[in-house]
Amino acid sequence: MSDVPAKPVLFKGVTGNRLADGEVVFWADGAWRERFADIQLFDDPASADAALARAKAQPTVIVDPYLIDVRFDDGLPVPVAYRERVRALGPTIHPDMGKQTEGGAVVDAIVHASGAARSAGRINLIKR
Amino acid sequence: MYRYDALDAEMLADRTAEFRTQVGRRVAGELTEEQFKPLRLMNGLYLQLHAYMLRIAIPYGTLTSRKLHRLAHISRVYSRGYGHFTTRCNLQLHWIKLKDTPDILDLLAEVGLHSIQTSGNCIRNITADPYAGANAEEVDDPRVWSETIRQWSTFHPEFSFLPRKFKIAVGAAPDDRTAARIYDIGLKLRRNREGQLGFEVMVGGGLGRTPYLAPTIREFLPTKDLLSYLAAILRVYNRYGRRDNIWKARIKILVASLGAEQFARQVEAEWKTMTQSGEAARIDAPEAEVARIRRAFGTTPFKDLPAVSEAFEAAKAADPAFARFVRHNVLPHKVPGYAIVTISLKAPGEVPGDCSSDQMDAIADLAERYSFDEARNHFEQNLVLPHVALDDLPAVYAELERIGLATPNIGLATDIIACPGLDYCTLANARAIPIAQDIARRFADPAVAEEVGELRIKISGCINACGQHHVGHIGILGVDKKGEEFYQLTLGGSGLEDARLGEILGPALPGPRVAEAVDVLVDTYMKERAEGERFVDTFRRIGLAPFKAAVYAEAH
Amino acid sequence: MQKLIKLDQGRPAWVEDSFLDVPDEEPTPGQGDVLVSFARFQEEGEALAAAGRKVGVRLKADEPVEALAPFLDRVAVVALAFPKFRDGRQYSQAVLLRDRYGYTGELRAVGDVLLEQGRFMVRCGFDAFVPADGTAPDDWVGALARYRYVYQTAVDRREPNFALRLRAAEGA
Repeated sequence: MSDVPAKPVLFKGVTGNRLADGEVVFWADGAWRERFADIQLFDDPASADAALARAKAQPTVIVDPYLIDVRFDDGLPVPVAYRERVRALGPTIHPDMGKQTEGGAVVDAIVHASGAARSAGRINLIKR
Repeated sequence: MYRYDALDAEMLADRTAEFRTQVGRRVAGELTEEQFKPLRLMNGLYLQLHAYMLRIAIPYGTLTSRKLHRLAHISRVYSRGYGHFTTRCNLQLHWIKLKDTPDILDLLAEVGLHSIQTSGNCIRNITADPYAGANAEEVDDPRVWSETIRQWSTFHPEFSFLPRKFKIAVGAAPDDRTAARIYDIGLKLRRNREGQLGFEVMVGGGLGRTPYLAPTIREFLPTKDLLSYLAAILRVYNRYGRRDNIWKARIKILVASLGAEQFARQVEAEWKTMTQSGEAARIDAPEAEVARIRRAFGTTPFKDLPAVSEAFEAAKAADPAFARFVRHNVLPHKVPGYAIVTISLKAPGEVPGDCSSDQMDAIADLAERYSFDEARNHFEQNLVLPHVALDDLPAVYAELERIGLATPNIGLATDIIACPGLDYCTLANARAIPIAQDIARRFADPAVAEEVGELRIKISGCINACGQHHVGHIGILGVDKKGEEFYQLTLGGSGLEDARLGEILGPALPGPRVAEAVDVLVDTYMKERAEGERFVDTFRRIGLAPFKAAVYAEAH
Repeated sequence: MQKLIKLDQGRPAWVEDSFLDVPDEEPTPGQGDVLVSFARFQEEGEALAAAGRKVGVRLKADEPVEALAPFLDRVAVVALAFPKFRDGRQYSQAVLLRDRYGYTGELRAVGDVLLEQGRFMVRCGFDAFVPADGTAPDDWVGALARYRYVYQTAVDRREPNFALRLRAAEGA
């Protein structure tokens, strides 16, 4: 029996920043939600791409939407990439600011998530 | 303090009206994000990890109480009650909304502040020596020239779409307090043998992925030729700087690839043609205008005070904490009876460079009452009260203590420069602030920090080097190693008059080991140091090997 | 016929474009005014001028105006192409054409030409524009009038603030 741990199952979600106020938001069935816990997850590339295409068709609502990887830690969704965890929570040095102040099981799971991977959705390194 | 005249004010008003229109076009879908991004960047508005970030210019780092109060108000109402002073003498506000930004710009414009060209591929905020007007060794007030350049470079039609950003610093003293050699153009005021005033012109410095120190391309440029000569440099850059690769687009790459001499020749040739055709004469600021700018700065009505203040001496003798504050945070002033006071924004455990709205208000009051209504910000992310009477120093210190800004650590191990890093910034690979906090906590005891002595630690969360890690005595660069935060350490850099780039210590260390490694480096220094040697001096004497051995032995 | 925006005493208006933009892959038509690449101009420019036809030259951002300078008296239009609106090389090229080489013909901005850069282009000496963003002269009127004052001298010779201040001081 192999000792190699199973690779985590990865899902995709869509995220971006709201144009008007810059708030980090997550796609859920055609609407934009502020809590990562509300993100809609896709288990196949086609539906993820379709959702992203719909998101990109809203240039006056959302800025530069992209796909992120999500896994489940003990049944709770958590972004895989470190940067996306910071986006889902807020600045780590100010636990009193940002989305993390809402608390809850998913926020806790993100705070305690370990390991990371290169952000699948990293866009241009320099914002020109 | 340069007072904006009606024309300056109208420029700001027209700018904010224009930006309001541009925001409207973006929201209505008439501009794509790609078309809008450079426009909002040219107003200093970034989209970052959590929200927009607005970078407000503090021209040549000079503030009045009125401006500080306004910044306090804006950070309170439109951000979360704080701001971050940067290594480029700007103020960054996080948590900003696009839809509020035109209103914020209007509020800034009312007090002569703005965010014009604080980002984008254009000429950015012109900095100056933070001790201008107070420093005995300056040959002239560099801010006069920073303001002259600011006006010429604002909305410059030929140079607003450069290959990349462009930064200019102006200093006026032999001791370089502007980090001129890491600027695209560093200008150093000096006199020639005939006593004429002019500039040493250095071009092609910069950090980031390929750091360079700027070579001098002109030893002496008479002040009357300043703007046309800058135009010649910018034109050569605009035409021949690389546009195919953003990592190779700064002027430092052009200067390095041509070589300083060839680059200088091209600039001189262009400038010569400009002078012969009459173009230079149209560009250069007339003497009367420079004189007007100089007058608009006003003269500080210093009192005739004795060089020694008995109240000050008594306070030092009575209070060792005050005496320590004076040792580290107070510098001599060119006028007898006065001093330059640095307010540290680096209390151990706090976010380096951050200042709360309440603290801004309190500093504004201090400036108004004790420093002829003037404050400065320093590229090492601290604030300065440039003209404090020695008699008033005890009262200033007491007030600073009350607001938590009396840390006696300028230039010491806890006076750390750190960029916002992955806690805020979309470009970052790793966090910088928690690393700074970890290190600062280890040296929090002021006696310990004083014993260690001058140690300039600089931390960047990514290769863009906003924390200027290449020029730290200890530099720390955040890298992404398989998705985890790792940090590469360098030793022996400096951004001041002994400018040089740091040497890589060894393989990158994981985040939790960094503060410990800094401890080991300091221990090694303390063991090896000779009389009077700072950390960086010992390093330059004994080299990398002992430090490397100590850190990497410890890591196992 | 194509339209473009042309400044008539500083005021933008639609005009018919009498110049046919001829790509390098296509032959020059037998008659009419043509706008050709610099390479084509070097081959056929003299012949076209001899036939009494007006010739315009397109310059790419990396084709230096110095090469065109000796022939400016034979050129009715210079079209400077912006590959991307963020590529600012043509601003310097325009300034050199006007101020250094004394070009007085039509200086046209083509390529990724957007309203928001219009005022920079005008100050650098452009007087004709083929907008890529669907904007019309009325939009350009507004955009060009946004700034009542300027800080620096440029090709347009608007009086910079320092000159206004000097005059005010002298008058006082």
